[in-house]
Amino acid sequence: MRVDYKPEGIYLPAIDLWLDPLVPVDAAWLSHAHSDHARGLHQTIIATGITVQIYRHRWPLLHGRTQEVHRLNPNESIEWNGATLTARQAAHILGAAQLLVEYNGERLVYTGDIKHRAPICGWTTEATPCDHLIIESTFGLPIYQFLEAADAQTRIAAFARECLAAGQTPVFQGYGLGRGQEIAHTLALDEIPCEIHPSIAAFIPYYEAQNYTFPSASEGGAVLVTPGRKMPVDIAAAKRKVALVSGWAALDNARARSNADVLIPYSDHADFYELLALIHDSQAQQIDIVHGYAEPFAHILRKRGLSARAAMLTTEAQI
Amino acid sequence: MDQLAAAAERVAATSSRNEKINRVAEYLKTLNGADAARAVLFLSGSPFAATDPRRLSAGYATMRAALEAATQWDPEILAICYREVGDGGELIAHLCRPITKGEPLSLEQAQTYFEVLQRTRLTQAKIELLTEIFKTHSAPALKFFIKTITGDLRIGLQKKMVEEALALSTGQPADLVRAANNRSGDIAQVALAARANALEAIEASLFHPLDFMLAQPLDDVTDLEDPPAWYAEDKYDGIRSQLHVANGKVKLFTRGLEDTTASFPEVVLAFTNQPGPLILDGEILAFKDGRPLPFQHLQQRISRKKVSQKAINEIPVVFLAYDILMHQGALLLDKPIEHRRALLDALGLEYVSEQTPVQSHAHVEELFGASRGRANEGLVLKRRESIYESGRRGANWRKVKKPYGTLDVVVTAAENGQGRRASVLSDVTFAVKDGGRFLNIGKAYSGLTDEEIRQLTKIFRASTIESYAGGRVQIVRPEVVLEVAFDGIQKSARHKSGYALRFPRIVRWRQDKTAAEIDTLARVQQLFKDPA
Repeated sequence: MRVDYKPEGIYLPAIDLWLDPLVPVDAAWLSHAHSDHARGLHQTIIATGITVQIYRHRWPLLHGRTQEVHRLNPNESIEWNGATLTARQAAHILGAAQLLVEYNGERLVYTGDIKHRAPICGWTTEATPCDHLIIESTFGLPIYQFLEAADAQTRIAAFARECLAAGQTPVFQGYGLGRGQEIAHTLALDEIPCEIHPSIAAFIPYYEAQNYTFPSASEGGAVLVTPGRKMPVDIAAAKRKVALVSGWAALDNARARSNADVLIPYSDHADFYELLALIHDSQAQQIDIVHGYAEPFAHILRKRGLSARAAMLTTEAQI
Repeated sequence: MDQLAAAAERVAATSSRNEKINRVAEYLKTLNGADAARAVLFLSGSPFAATDPRRLSAGYATMRAALEAATQWDPEILAICYREVGDGGELIAHLCRPITKGEPLSLEQAQTYFEVLQRTRLTQAKIELLTEIFKTHSAPALKFFIKTITGDLRIGLQKKMVEEALALSTGQPADLVRAANNRSGDIAQVALAARANALEAIEASLFHPLDFMLAQPLDDVTDLEDPPAWYAEDKYDGIRSQLHVANGKVKLFTRGLEDTTASFPEVVLAFTNQPGPLILDGEILAFKDGRPLPFQHLQQRISRKKVSQKAINEIPVVFLAYDILMHQGALLLDKPIEHRRALLDALGLEYVSEQTPVQSHAHVEELFGASRGRANEGLVLKRRESIYESGRRGANWRKVKKPYGTLDVVVTAAENGQGRRASVLSDVTFAVKDGGRFLNIGKAYSGLTDEEIRQLTKIFRASTIESYAGGRVQIVRPEVVLEVAFDGIQKSARHKSGYALRFPRIVRWRQDKTAAEIDTLARVQQLFKDPA
């Protein structure tokens, strides 16, 4: 089916549905609650129950505004303008989902942001065979190779323990929604207390509702902040060590860019080889690449005999 | 190499100088003598000793060809990956991780590979050997194997720190290790001697540059303690250089320990007949009609590899000596300045800096004015009876520069200019250093010639780490050193250093300096407190 790639987002004209649009539209599928995917008050939204909850936290209905909401949990379907829409689990942040669109005998899957490995928090990716795949390529170069969740957890806990033993404060940089909670939960499993930046703490209740535990906020433990060029904590440089937990931490130059001492390459996105695995699992005939290294990644897929094109060239402006 | 890689990663993961040294020392302690010697050499970013004439000519083209053969990635993808990673060793490690057998690489075997690669003449044979290495050894070992060849480990470990770690791991005094390495230029030899408790027996090797003694800035002449305890010499606006002579052979080295002999054939000629072995400390100056020419003239001579007779006629160059470090084969570093001066004078050289005993603060002011009147930079004050402190910026040499400030800074970002400079990277953001970090302190738009901007644009494009603002702004590897003049220092929240320079302008491009030699944040803080 026809897919239009526009600056405002991805549009399916045959069934009048937008996928993760950046501006308010009539009807939108929200793959997950990150603000570069779920933003603005659309008239109608379709998303998993958890995504709707977190999205509502950021986009409350004020002044009597209304919105039609369809909660579509994994493996639930609805009919939409002649198509069948089915949500499928995506490993990314809590509540993330792929969308399967079945229309006129064709199967189209939009992955949203996704990884192939199991995440620390959230569900695993369900392989969803299709004809036409729309997939991201944030880390679509072979230089990006990440850790398994269990290895990342070991590194996170070991870093915190080593700092504390040396009388230093371990500072973690993790994103406000997703990585931040995964780091905090990892510290909780290891019983390491942690002070958590409010921008990360704000979303913890949604994780607690899914039975993830979080550390007590007591002095003398770790500190968890969001990444930025300025260190938002008031600890002398000699008394702290900073770890960056991110896909970008796969490259040494992340150290200079983020002021981190220790790099832990763990992401809620697929690394290059996970992307290949996701594409393999999809069995898709046509692959459209959005986000990140779309051009070189499409080039690599074409060299492997796949029909792939760079559909959208936006880059995500994270560290 | 695998353990070296693990140790190197631990060094990279701390910004504390002491911790870095400790981590290297811990690693060295685990090694036998031969491996410790190899490890300190490789950690210094070199497959062969500085005094070893062998050079491993495996350039980027050779490595790229081997990487392509080993990984089957096509050149376009390799180019994009290299742009993102910015380091050859790291790139090769990432791309070979999925395809290598992952076998460990011992230091001894790494050394053998270096030797074989060096001996191999045919590029194709080098490519084949590298391809085999890439397919065989573990990614961490490959990363540092290649970094040793490319010469920069990028783990914030300077030569001096390797020396200190070696001292710490062997229980030898750091001064003794540093002095021995300064004399020998072969850190592997020094490592063996340190273990054998035989550092003092290491002799000076000629045609390997000794570390230069440096002067501390003196911002206010009246701060000079006990003026009669000093000599004054003019501070020249040239290239600080070390001249080695033996058996009719002459070599020149800059402070960056770079060999610049080929640029100054008339200097070679002037010293060929000196009886050696002799080492002099002095200044290369463009010199015409009995007086030095401004530095810009000299710059035209440095930028050329081959010097034409025309250039020699137009911009004649001399070596002006101000110290002697070796005389008839005897090292003089520990001899007092008066002794060295007497030997220097006895050589009867044509160009020797004049040394004046200082009488008072007023006398220093007078000498400073006279030096400026001769178009020189100011004064260098040298303490009576002081020895030559190789590699130190000690309190026994002081420099009095121009009354307004200049700082040596390193460029951290470059962007397109306006108007006719829209296509070149003419606007630069620059930084001072603070330990191992570079902290931005200002931005400058003017002061370089169009030709210099054109050259720098090429350099910046080749050293870009990251682009933003739609590709307008390039974050570059901190390598290009500029001298900037300014009218004052202000506190600033805009720059990472916490300070901003008022009306900064580029005085000149310091091709003779490396980023390790630029001014420090401490110096900026001092100038801020006491602008005199």
